[in-house]
Amino acid sequence: MILADAWRRSAYFRVGASLLSFLVLIALLQPWLNGFLIGESDPISMGNFKAYLPPSTEHWLGTERWGRDVMALLLVGLRYSLLIAALAGSVATAIGIVIGFVAGYKGGRIDATLRTMTDMVLVIPSLPLLVTLAAYIPRVNIVTMALLLAAFSWPFTTRTIRAQVLSMKERPYIDLAITSGLRDWEIIFAEILPNLLPYLGVSLAISMGAAMLAEIGLQLIGLGPGNINTLGLMINWSIRWGALGLGKWQMVFAPVLCLVLIFVSLNLINIGLEQAFNPRLRAVTGE
Amino acid sequence: MHPLLKYVLIRLAVYVVSIWGSFSIAFIFFHMIPGDPIATFVATVQQQYGYQIQDADAMIEAYREMLGLNGSLFEQYVRYLGNVLLRFDFGPSLINFPTPSINHIMRALPWTLGLLGISTILAWTIGFLLGGLVGFRRNNPFAAALTNTALVFSQIPPYFVALALLFLFAYGLAILPTRGAYSATVRPGFSYEFISSVVRHAFLPAFSVIGVGIAGWLISTRSLVISILGDDYLKFAEAKGLKRSYILGQYVLRNAMLPQVTGLALSLGFIMNGFYLVEIIFNYPGIGTLFLTSIGLLDYNTVQGVVLITIVVVLTATLIIDLILPLVDPRVRLSGN
Repeated sequence: MILADAWRRSAYFRVGASLLSFLVLIALLQPWLNGFLIGESDPISMGNFKAYLPPSTEHWLGTERWGRDVMALLLVGLRYSLLIAALAGSVATAIGIVIGFVAGYKGGRIDATLRTMTDMVLVIPSLPLLVTLAAYIPRVNIVTMALLLAAFSWPFTTRTIRAQVLSMKERPYIDLAITSGLRDWEIIFAEILPNLLPYLGVSLAISMGAAMLAEIGLQLIGLGPGNINTLGLMINWSIRWGALGLGKWQMVFAPVLCLVLIFVSLNLINIGLEQAFNPRLRAVTGE
Repeated sequence: MHPLLKYVLIRLAVYVVSIWGSFSIAFIFFHMIPGDPIATFVATVQQQYGYQIQDADAMIEAYREMLGLNGSLFEQYVRYLGNVLLRFDFGPSLINFPTPSINHIMRALPWTLGLLGISTILAWTIGFLLGGLVGFRRNNPFAAALTNTALVFSQIPPYFVALALLFLFAYGLAILPTRGAYSATVRPGFSYEFISSVVRHAFLPAFSVIGVGIAGWLISTRSLVISILGDDYLKFAEAKGLKRSYILGQYVLRNAMLPQVTGLALSLGFIMNGFYLVEIIFNYPGIGTLFLTSIGLLDYNTVQGVVLITIVVVLTATLIIDLILPLVDPRVRLSGN
């Protein structure tokens, strides 16, 4: 419903959503596509091919130091990166919804406390803390990784949701709901939440982006889990092996380009949602 | 009491409380880390150097005392706050054994502060002015093109730009240095060679932070300006026949400045995260690189010191921004809120 509206109203949303759906489709079809690219062999296992082959029709992006097909690795990486971002983004949005709603709806001292806490987490640079945690936790799998990332990317969401709940609360129909004796949770779920759906979309996109950034940061300096083959880990390998100095630029820039495409599409979706559902902005831009 | 004085006093009090609060959070955080940092460290030493430690327990005990990790949790907390806040002492570093970690941190800090400070201020100023202009003249095709370019660039993390620049200018064209803060052949000092070497080395890391920063601030300022343009007082100003340049400077930019200054304060932590990675890519001898080295060697004291110093830097920068706010916003100056 909302997606169809946004699609109709905003060109930014159309471009962003098409791009992201395309990437997600590729990630979902990865096993099949890789079967087509490199046959039966496992894209992650080493020594399938000769090392450092240049790009050719057989190996679109060449092979890397351990003789793996870079294109096939890229597809696997895309799948894992998107999966982690989606998991971490959903958890962060859920935390943001709960804290943002309680703060915005209850107001007063509860709001002040929660807001100070959120701002503090937002201001403290999360990367050193995240790196420290990752360095001391012995075994990290996809779920723990996503939870770690979510632990530091919820403040963005919380701020957005709280601001929206605050402005929703002042609307006349909420007064009507309160006077007609609806309970708190009825007002929250039946009156406020449905009107907030576009903003939840924005929050999800923002926290997915934040989680991906943090994940790349962790992988880039070589402290992420080495057993989860994400795009960030690919970049880390390429840098560590001096791919740039060897002139194997595609090994670094293929995953970088993939990540940039994901970030840009998430941001376009954000702008599109804002454009379609923020009437004030629409009145001004005339779009 | 004068409202401005009251504002400053409240802000200082908030500063002190948030320093204490975040130090306590960091203390809890470092004590919640699963596993024992000292046992891990001793195990690493045994593995890396092939030492057989005869009396590992006694050694662990000695280290524990040295790092202030003995006694009850509350004793540790009091000792930690006292050492860190009053004496500025994070304990000896393990990378370089008897040297206090604070020495390492203080040697790295000026590089980070200099480069990060200059590039953040430049990025904010240029982005703000361009964004104001682009929002004000948004039907101009050039402005639209600039906006769409910035839209893409604002989403690229600075360390990706760093990689691209490194490849292009340092490896490809080989005209700028790839790593470090000054070449090994010049002696640090107040000489032309040294300063020009520092500038040459700072150019690529600074540019990767500034480029992305400009794009980000441009986008947010533009949308802010567009929403301001819809307000009635601007229609009135136009009806009065004021010059467009005067309207842009006095009405639009002044109103857009306040949220953007606050936005800068809020995003400092985020900017710092990206900057650490840029430092690591260029092997710049700042806090980010020190952090990577010390975490690789599990140097507990230095890691903790870096985290705390980062927090102090960000909170202090936020305080400075908040103290500048009254200059920008007459409401703060007059009401003290």
